[in-house]
Amino acid sequence: MLHTFASNLILAAEGKEEGGEQLLFPETSELIAGVIAFAIIFFFVWRWVLPTLKTTLENRQAAIRSDLEDAETAKTEAEGMREDYRSQLAAARDEANQIVEESRQAGETVKADIIARAEEEADNIKTRAQDELAGERERATAAIRREVVGLSLDVAERVMGDSLDRTAQEALVERYIDELGESED
Amino acid sequence: MEGVILASSSCDTEKEIICAPENVLELFKFEEAWFSIGPFDWTRTVFLMFLATGIAMLLLYLGLRGRRIVPTKFGVAIESLVAFVKDDIAKGIIGPQGVRYTPYLLAVFMLVLVGNLFEVTPLINFPITSSMALPLIISVLTWIIFVWVGFAKNGISYLTGIIWPRSVPLALRPLVGLIELVSTFVLRPITLAVRLFANMVAGHLMLTLLLASGIIFIGEFNLRSIIGVPWFVFGLGIFVFEIVVAVLQAYIITLLSAVYVQTSVNPDH
Amino acid sequence: MTPEAAELLKGAIALVGYGLAAVGPGIGIGIVVGNAIQAMARQPEAAGMARTTMFLGIAFTEALALIGFVLFFIA
Repeated sequence: MLHTFASNLILAAEGKEEGGEQLLFPETSELIAGVIAFAIIFFFVWRWVLPTLKTTLENRQAAIRSDLEDAETAKTEAEGMREDYRSQLAAARDEANQIVEESRQAGETVKADIIARAEEEADNIKTRAQDELAGERERATAAIRREVVGLSLDVAERVMGDSLDRTAQEALVERYIDELGESED
Repeated sequence: MEGVILASSSCDTEKEIICAPENVLELFKFEEAWFSIGPFDWTRTVFLMFLATGIAMLLLYLGLRGRRIVPTKFGVAIESLVAFVKDDIAKGIIGPQGVRYTPYLLAVFMLVLVGNLFEVTPLINFPITSSMALPLIISVLTWIIFVWVGFAKNGISYLTGIIWPRSVPLALRPLVGLIELVSTFVLRPITLAVRLFANMVAGHLMLTLLLASGIIFIGEFNLRSIIGVPWFVFGLGIFVFEIVVAVLQAYIITLLSAVYVQTSVNPDH
Repeated sequence: MTPEAAELLKGAIALVGYGLAAVGPGIGIGIVVGNAIQAMARQPEAAGMARTTMFLGIAFTEALALIGFVLFFIA
């Protein structure tokens, strides 16, 4: 057994034995190719991949930072604008309220004015009507008085004959009626 | 396709229940050279090595070109891959000064990842890491780096710290020192290479035997084709599993390279 | 014993040897991973360190199985 093992080893070293142990010994050309391939990828990774990744990440970091800063300024600006808008809105609302208030007051004034004028007119009309009424009554009273004087004189003439001085009598009756009216009042 | 051809080269479907080649080497060594420059034979494996390098570089280039401020989806994937190796493996394992080793670790990771994934790539179906050359180169480079760093950072105390470990009881020190010496300088590089190699060999063997046997047996169209169906279904299951293994082994060889370098940077931990 | 038979026997013994070499690391990796998971469950904040140490432990334990794998091909 040992003999076959030893001979196997020798044969393997000579590269003639087609046994499984051949699997463990790499081919010379594969070794050379492997070294070259590894060297290529190592230099590629060392010289290109890692520096590229580094600059990429640095660029990205810078970009993100500047973006964030921009966003921050934009936000501050927007907040300022919002404040402005808010105060402007409040001012506009105040103004509107004021206008409404003013117009209401103006309306009230006009209303009061109109009412006052209407009342005044109504008063005027009433007063005029009363005046007219009073005038009418005066005239009616005067007419009645004259009529009564005439009638009573006529009555008196008829009773006492025509002896009485018509003018004196008339003055007398008039005075009497006046006194009567005064005592009545 | 290559695997199917190799597994079928001498398969008697009347007698065999799985189509294994006469010699397992047929699955892993491509002897015929496309052309030769002196002792250098341009075989299929050599071509695939350069193809893997090209694909790995192309992926990195396409992901990172243009130094985009707003990355594409593919760019994000590549960037997070690079960042994973840089931050999680290099910085996470070795520590703050681990950034220096990022190029090496990233090169190892990308080359091994693409090489491993060739196992499950249609029309290629051959992991270049199942040939010993690439794992050996990587483990030797890792060995050189961690020994160099160990002596450069700690001087001769790096070696004495391994041979004469002070954290161990005095009586055990010679024994532990011997074990540590062999483990550090001999077993580490061997296991680092063989782990990757063995996983890929096992995966490639299983895929080739199961899928190729399944296809050949089903293609016979007789009663024994029934044997081929479970082979093929099982092979498809292994196929999915091998994708995970390919990525995991690329991660593990990178991680262990970083861990070995870390033990040299800070030997106390 | 004919040379063919000796060759077959050698292959069979190598297979058994690899099988035996895989037993110990199998158990060892199970213990390592189990304890690592316990550690991660107890202290999730230290999960990263536990994972790294777990891979390191697996690497050491697995070395024996890998040596068995290599010897399987050589024998």
